[in-house]
Amino acid sequence: MDPDAVAKAFVEHYYATFDSNRPGLANLYQDGSMLTFEGQKIQGAQSIVAKLTSLPFQQCQHNITTVDCQPSGAGGMLVFVSGTLQLSGEQHALKFSQMFHLMPTQQGSFYVLNDIFRLNYA
Amino acid sequence: MDPDAVAKAFVDHYYSTFDANRAGLGNLYQEGSMLTFEGQKIQGSQSIVAKLTSLPFQQCKHNITTVDCQPSGAGGMLVFVSGTLQLAGEQHALKFSQMFHLMPTPQGSFYVLNDIFRLNYT
Repeated sequence: MDPDAVAKAFVEHYYATFDSNRPGLANLYQDGSMLTFEGQKIQGAQSIVAKLTSLPFQQCQHNITTVDCQPSGAGGMLVFVSGTLQLSGEQHALKFSQMFHLMPTQQGSFYVLNDIFRLNYA
Repeated sequence: MDPDAVAKAFVDHYYSTFDANRAGLGNLYQEGSMLTFEGQKIQGSQSIVAKLTSLPFQQCKHNITTVDCQPSGAGGMLVFVSGTLQLAGEQHALKFSQMFHLMPTPQGSFYVLNDIFRLNYT
């Protein structure tokens, strides 16, 4: 399958899950996964999902502007995303950038080994 | 050496080279290196440096706001940077995000295997 199509499909799945069912993100991380969220470092699927489900908003909507991908040389794929994040009740959307390092699973899917998220302040 | 310190040292070196002597970036890429610059995909040190030295400005200055890093699982290091880019003669600085996947060289240094650059438009 075309790598750009794989990256796009992953990104759509990731943010659709984030926006509708944050606990469901647990399937996309493993024990060795790492998240750096606005500078805070978190390791392992459990802790990562605990962090994401505890973020201080009820609902959010990610709108993706750009998706770039490259093979990482480890059998994996690097995906670099930019977009906006609308929190319910907030007047203005936030801008963000995020990178994922995806590794293949035995089932032919991908999981997130590395995840770095940053808001882009105006 | 502390990975965060390594990442910061690399970032300082990369952008000071970019700002002073773009042609000098050739040492930081190899044949298998990949750059995606505002969506345009370029491969190999020669083509990458040709692209960067042909960017339509004489002088620029990168100011780095955030640097995040994580080990990539391949012996390498992922570095995620955000900051601003001031072009000579332009009134307003541009905002950008960039990710690097660094791999070790036999000499104990790093080269850039993957590089993705995006401007963050307001």
